[in-house]
Amino acid sequence: MNRSIFTNPYVLIAPAFLLAAFIILWPLFQIGEISLSNVNRFGQLKGFAGLENFAAVVSDPQFLAAGWRTVIWTVGIVAGTILVSIPVALILNEDFYGRGLARIIVMLPWAVSLTMTAIVWRWALSGESGMLNSALKGLGLIDQNIQWLAQAATAFPVQITIGILVSIPFTTTIFLGGLSSIPDDLYEAAKLEGASGWQIFFSITLPLLRPFINIAVVMNTISVFNSFPIIWATTQGGPANSTDILVTYLYKLGFSFGKLGEASALSLMMFALLLVFTIIYVRLAMRGERA
Amino acid sequence: MKISRKLKRSILSWVVLSPLIVAVLFPFAVMFITAIKPATEVLKPTWWPSTPQWQNFITMWNATNFGAALWNSVYVAVLSTLISVFVSIPAAYALSRFRFAGKGFVQQFLLVSQMLSPIVLVIGLFRLLVALKLLDNLNAVVFVYATFNIAFSVWMLQSYFSTIPKDLEEAAWMEGATPWQALRKVFLPLALPAMTVTAIFSFINAWNEFVIALTMLRNQASYTLPIQVFSLVAGRYTVEWHHVMAAAFVATIPVAVIFAWLQRYLVRGLALGAVK
Repeated sequence: MNRSIFTNPYVLIAPAFLLAAFIILWPLFQIGEISLSNVNRFGQLKGFAGLENFAAVVSDPQFLAAGWRTVIWTVGIVAGTILVSIPVALILNEDFYGRGLARIIVMLPWAVSLTMTAIVWRWALSGESGMLNSALKGLGLIDQNIQWLAQAATAFPVQITIGILVSIPFTTTIFLGGLSSIPDDLYEAAKLEGASGWQIFFSITLPLLRPFINIAVVMNTISVFNSFPIIWATTQGGPANSTDILVTYLYKLGFSFGKLGEASALSLMMFALLLVFTIIYVRLAMRGERA
Repeated sequence: MKISRKLKRSILSWVVLSPLIVAVLFPFAVMFITAIKPATEVLKPTWWPSTPQWQNFITMWNATNFGAALWNSVYVAVLSTLISVFVSIPAAYALSRFRFAGKGFVQQFLLVSQMLSPIVLVIGLFRLLVALKLLDNLNAVVFVYATFNIAFSVWMLQSYFSTIPKDLEEAAWMEGATPWQALRKVFLPLALPAMTVTAIFSFINAWNEFVIALTMLRNQASYTLPIQVFSLVAGRYTVEWHHVMAAAFVATIPVAVIFAWLQRYLVRGLALGAVK
């Protein structure tokens, strides 16, 4: 009865869908076409190449190293973030003096661009003039300056730590949402039964938080896997490509080495992997809905 | 004693949180202290400047081309936010109110496009802009940002919209209002908080974006703040760190303050969206 463009779902969705389709699908098809072509460094296509580009990527030792490092990077940051965020969310969920301020501070990294964060850390971690070294020296924890970013052995762990710090706000938010969905009577009943704090945590809080942990793991995995600015703005994958992960390696392939065919092939492979993550996410989210 | 128990809990909470709080605040301290150091003391690893140099913030403005980059960032963030919210509201409304053929496909498409970060598409996007002769064009970046915010915005708005009862609009229709009147007078005022939260997140995303700007903006005149600050650091032998930190500080603090101020609503909104 109400015939109007405002009740026609197709008309309502069209602007968003067309814009997204144009700016996402067109580049995706381009990447697909380039990945199967011989292409020179100016981007001109020189005929069909079959799977040569894919073979070239897979057989590149730098790809294997960057891929392996991406696994460490992703697992390290996601696991670290979850392990820190659970207790942080538990504390922020309690009533204590200054909780509002504590929440603001914990959430603060969220508002700052990763690029700025990374640039500040690049300066703070500088070997001779960095304030981290002077702070640690002042506290008597080290007596010689550490060249944090100039050696792979310290650069990569430091980058993972920065990654954990900036992932905590989002993850804690998800957990706070989860904790607020647990009914208080459960805790009261458990206390009446004489359960200890640990027992309550392991038999009530953790199981009921499980769906939120699953979602946080998948969403963090996707964003950390895609995360570019922390590494690019601290070391640009150096020294000697020792901190490259797949996204920085992809960027170098495409824009520094001019190997557009291989870069496109790598993009498609990463796209396929992200699709797998997405399917896992949908499965988990749907299971949560049914429960 | 109830009060002393809360006090005990407060002290314990702050003690447990303290390592994280130090780690979060440390970069802000480094930014601020370096920004007010005299140029001659920047490379000395002392904590405090002998005399705070507030004029660093003024010299930084010209030395780092800050004004132009600030304008570019504001332009890109505001326009892309407006576009993405403007196209996301009707889409989210349709998804939360109507059943129609192809709905599942639209939702899956949005989900996949949210999982895709621009970095995976960057080569295709670069070719798109080259083909359209829009490299170095801020408006092209506006559209790319808007697009990558659509999925998130639709998802947030849709989960809010579903909490607004459909009866309200139907009642307005019964009273003889046209669908547009029902939307404008009844629905949109109720949805305003959701739209504000979504817009702020879109703004922050655009304000902070790095890869697209780094790739598509090649001329200093079109740099946004993250790229401008990055260009002062990357591939240089001498870096004017006090200027870089002053620029980072001025670029970061307004957004951080807005975020801290609205943090409770933003976080609640996002939690609601995520739980849905």
